Amino acid sequence: MQMRKLAIAVLVALSAVSTAAEKEKEQAKEKKLKACFIYVGPVGDLGWSNAHDEARRLAEKAIPGLETQFVEAVPEAQGLPVIDRLVQQGCKVIFTTSFGYMDHTVEAAKKYPDVVFAHATGFKRAPNLATYMADFYQVYYLNGLMAGALTKSGKIGYVGAFPIPELKRHISAFALGARAARPDAVVNVKWINSWFSPPKAREAAEALMVEGNDVLAFTEDTATVVQVAARKKIPSFSHYSPMYRFAPDYVVSGQLVHWEKVYIDFLGKVRDGTYAAGKVKDVDYWWLLKEGAVEMGAQPGMPINPKFTDALKKAQMTVGGKPVAVYDRVMDLLKDMSSPSPKFDPFTGPIKDRNGVERVPAGRHMTVEELNSMQWVAPGVMGPVADEPK
Amino acid sequence: MSGDLRRLAPLGVYGAAILVAFALVGGVLAGFGASPLECYEAILHASFVDPQGRSEVLRRTIPLLLIGGGLTVAFRAGFLNIGAEGQLLLGAVGAAAVALFLPATPASLPAMFLAGAIAGALWAFPAAWLRTHLRVHEILTTLMLTPVAEYLVVYLINGPWRGEHVRGFSYTDAFPERLQLPVLEGTLVHWPTLALGAALAAALQVLLTHTPAGYELRVAGSSPKVARYAGIPIHRVVFLAGILSGGAAGLAGAGEVAGIHHRLLEPAQVSLGYGYTAIIVAWLARGRPLAVLLTAPLLGAILAGGDTLKTGFNMPFRIIDVFSGTLLLCLITAEALWARRERRGP
Amino acid sequence: MTQELLAAALRALSLGAPLLIAAVGAIANERAGVVNLGIEGMMALGALAAFSVAVEGHSPALAVAAALGAGMLAALLHAVVSLTVGANSYVSGLALAMLGSGVAGILGRRYEGFPLLDPVAEEPFLVAAGALAVGLWVFLRFTRPGLVLRSVGESPAAADALGVHVTAVRYGAVAFGGALAGLAGAFLSLSYRPAWTDGMTGGMGWIAVALVIFVGWHPLRAVAGSTFFGLLYYLQFRLQDQGRIPVEAFGAMPYLLVVLALALSGLRKARGSAPAALGIPYRRGER
Repeated sequence: MQMRKLAIAVLVALSAVSTAAEKEKEQAKEKKLKACFIYVGPVGDLGWSNAHDEARRLAEKAIPGLETQFVEAVPEAQGLPVIDRLVQQGCKVIFTTSFGYMDHTVEAAKKYPDVVFAHATGFKRAPNLATYMADFYQVYYLNGLMAGALTKSGKIGYVGAFPIPELKRHISAFALGARAARPDAVVNVKWINSWFSPPKAREAAEALMVEGNDVLAFTEDTATVVQVAARKKIPSFSHYSPMYRFAPDYVVSGQLVHWEKVYIDFLGKVRDGTYAAGKVKDVDYWWLLKEGAVEMGAQPGMPINPKFTDALKKAQMTVGGKPVAVYDRVMDLLKDMSSPSPKFDPFTGPIKDRNGVERVPAGRHMTVEELNSMQWVAPGVMGPVADEPK
Repeated sequence: MSGDLRRLAPLGVYGAAILVAFALVGGVLAGFGASPLECYEAILHASFVDPQGRSEVLRRTIPLLLIGGGLTVAFRAGFLNIGAEGQLLLGAVGAAAVALFLPATPASLPAMFLAGAIAGALWAFPAAWLRTHLRVHEILTTLMLTPVAEYLVVYLINGPWRGEHVRGFSYTDAFPERLQLPVLEGTLVHWPTLALGAALAAALQVLLTHTPAGYELRVAGSSPKVARYAGIPIHRVVFLAGILSGGAAGLAGAGEVAGIHHRLLEPAQVSLGYGYTAIIVAWLARGRPLAVLLTAPLLGAILAGGDTLKTGFNMPFRIIDVFSGTLLLCLITAEALWARRERRGP
Repeated sequence: MTQELLAAALRALSLGAPLLIAAVGAIANERAGVVNLGIEGMMALGALAAFSVAVEGHSPALAVAAALGAGMLAALLHAVVSLTVGANSYVSGLALAMLGSGVAGILGRRYEGFPLLDPVAEEPFLVAAGALAVGLWVFLRFTRPGLVLRSVGESPAAADALGVHVTAVRYGAVAFGGALAGLAGAFLSLSYRPAWTDGMTGGMGWIAVALVIFVGWHPLRAVAGSTFFGLLYYLQFRLQDQGRIPVEAFGAMPYLLVVLALALSGLRKARGSAPAALGIPYRRGER
C-alpha cells in the first residue's frame, strides 16, 4: 500500500515539474515564430527528406526571429498525432512534406484553426491550409535533350520508384526531350517499387545496362545508379541532391531542388502578415525554374558537366526545320524557362500518349491539375507502366 | 519464499531489467547532449499523464493486443509464427476487399473483420500445413511469406485496386464513411478493435485453461512425447494454433484499415512492424494470453516513448531500435538469471 | 546471348556474395548449436565500421579488419546473453538485429552522403566467399576440430563427457559467425555500393538466415543457394519488360521459391536437418 502511494506521488510530482518547466519555455518562445516540419523519411537520405531539411536550415538562417523544428521518419498514419504534439510545443506553422499526410493535414487544419498548415504535393486546401510543390518536369525535358544527344544506341534507361503521377510526368518529359534531340530514342523504364533501396537500384541499373541502355536516369533516394553507371563508363543524370562528387567523370547533369525558395517566401509572408490562418485558401505554389525552386545540374551552379560540353555542342538536332546544336538548344530553353515570362513548355500540344490517344490538344498547355494527376506516359517510354488510362 | 511472493517475483525482476535498460539507453541519450532524466520524464508524462500521449499508447496497443494474443497461443503450442506482419497485411487486404467491392450494409463492418481473419488465417495456412505434414520448420515459411504479402499489396494498389479519386497515386479509394470505425474523441484510437482485442485475449485464456482443446494444446507444446502417449493429435493442434494466430493477425490488419487508414495503402505504412513487436509481446506474456493485456500496452508505451524522443528531443529515429533492442536484451537476461537462481534451489 | 548469360552470372555472384559470406558464418555457429537471428544488425555494424575506416583514407585491409571486429563484438554480446546467461537465443538474436541496426544508424549519420572515392574491387570478395564456403566444408567434414564443432551441435552432453569444452567451442563459432556477418557488410559498403546509408543492408541479413535453412546447413550447397538467390533478385528487374506478368510477381518469386523448395525437400526428406541441439542452451548436468 505504501509503495503504491509513493509511486503515485512520484509520478504526480514528476508531471507537475515537467508542466511547470514547459510553461516557462513556452513564455520564452513567445517572441519567435516557430515553424515545424514533418518528414516521411530520414534526413540522412540523399533525397526528398534531406532536401527539405536543408531548405529548413537555410530558411532558419534567412529569416530573423524564426525558430524551426523537425520530426523525421514519420509514417503516414502518424501524421496527426505528431501534429498534435508539435502544436502542443508551440508550432505556429506546420509543413507536412509528403502526399500521404493529406487527410491528416486536412483534419489537423480543422482541429487547429489558428495554426497555418502547408502540405507539399497535395491538392486539398482550406483557409489555413496551403499547398506547395517544386517540380522538375522542365528540367527533365532538358535532361532528356542531353540524353538523346549522348546515347549511341538510342536506348536510355530509367530506374523508377513508383508509377505515380509525379514520376509519369517526369519520365514523359524526359522522353519528349530525348525524342526531340533524337527521334528514334526510347526510354526503357524499370520499377523498383521503393523510394530507397540501393540493392534494387543497382540491380535494376545493371539490368538496364545489359539490355543496351547507354545513358541512365533515375528516381531513388541514393546515388547508387550514378555509381553503378560510372563503373561501366555510362553517363547518368543525378537526381534530387548534388551527386556530382559520386562520379565526376560520368554525371552529365541532373535535377536539383531548392525548397528554401518556397519556405523563405512562405514564412516571410507569414511573418509580415500576408499569410495567416484564414487567408491561405488559394495559396498553391507550383514553382519551377522561373522561381528558382528547381535547378538543372548535378551540382549547384554547374548546369552541365564541362566534360560533356564538347559532345553536346557537336550533337545536332532540328528545331523549326533548322539544325541546332543540342547544347545551344538546352541553354536557350534553360534561359527561357528561368526567365520571368517563359515561352516554352515541354507539355505543349499536340501530344499523344504512347498508345496514340491525344492527351494535349494543339496549342494548349497542361494545367497544374492535369500535371498533378497525370496517368498517361509520352511516346518513347517502354516497359510496364501500371494503370495507364485507355 | 512464500507462494505469493514467488509468483510476483518475476514482475520485480522484469521491473529491474527495465530500469537497467533505461539506464543504458540513458547513456546514449546523454551522448546526444540530452538529459536522460528529462527524456524519461517526458516519456512518462506522455505515456501516462498527457491524454494525447495516452491515446498514442492505446493506438499502438490495439494491433499488438490482437496479434500478441494469437501468438501467445501459437508459441504455447510450439508454432513459432514470425510472419504475423504478412498475415496482418492479408487481413487488411481482406477487409479492403469487402469495403471496396461489396455494397455497404450494417453487416459490412463485421464482414470486414471476418474477411480479415480468414485472409490472415489463409496466409498462415501454408506454413502450418508444411509444418504438420512435411515437418518443415515454420520460422522460415512464415518469414518468407511476409515479403510476398508486401508485393501483393503493392500489386493491388498500383494496379487493379488503384482508386479513381486518388489522382493516380498508389492508394485505393477511401472506404465509405459507414465503414470507418468510430474513434475516441479527437484521437486515432478505434476502440471497437481495442475491445475486440481484449475480448480475444480473455477468450483465448479461457480456451487454454478451461477447455480440453486448450489442455491438448498445452501438452502438445510442452511435452510432445507425453502428448503422443496420451493420444493427443499433435499435428491438428499445432495446425489449428498456427491458423488461429494468423487469423488474429488478420483481425489486427482489418482493424488498422477500418479504424485508421480507411483505405489500402503502401505496405510499409500499414504494417508498422507490429507483427514483429507482437513477438515480444507474446514472449513476455509467457504463455498466458490474458497477460498480453499488460505486455501489449507496455510495448505500446515503449514505441510511443521512442516517438516522444524523436519529436520532443530531436533524437534520430533509430533511437527506437536501440531502445527496443536494449530493453529486450535486459529482459531476457533478467529472466534467464532468475530462472537459473530458481533452478539452483534455496 | 553469351553476353547475357555472363552478365546474369556475374550479377548472381555479386549479389550472392554477401549472402554467401553471412550464411557461411551462420552455418558455422548453427552447426555448433547456436542460433543467430541477429545477422542483419551485425552486417550493418560491419558495413559502417568498414566504411568509416575506408573513407578516412585507410587501407581496405584495415577497413575489412574493422568490419570483422565489429561483427565479432556484436556476436560476442549475443554469445554472452545466450550461452553464459542462458537466455533464449532466438530472442537474443532478434534483439541484436534491432540493436545493431539502430546503433549503426545512429553512429553512421555523419558518414551519409559521402562516396568512397576508391571503391574496392568486387572480385576479391567473391573469391573469399567461395574460399570460405569450401574451407568451412572441409573443416567440418574432414578435420578433427570440425568434428568437435559438429558434435557440440548434435549432442553437447556427449561432447562434454568426452572432455570438450562446449561453451568455449560455441563462443568461438559464434564469434566466427559474427565476423563473417561483418565481412558481408563490408562488401556492401566498400564494394557493392561504396557508400554508407542507414538501412543499406536492406534485409540481406534475413535472407541469409533463410538461406542457411534453405540449403540444409551445408556450406557447399550455400554456394549454389546464394547464387540462385542472387540470380532471382537480378531477374526480377531483367524480366520486367515482358508485360504479361506483373512486376511485383518477380519480386515475390525468390521467397515463393524458397517455400516451394522447402516443401519439396520436406517431401523428399533428403535435405540435411537442423543440428539436434540447435537453439537449446546447454547446461551441464541437465538432461
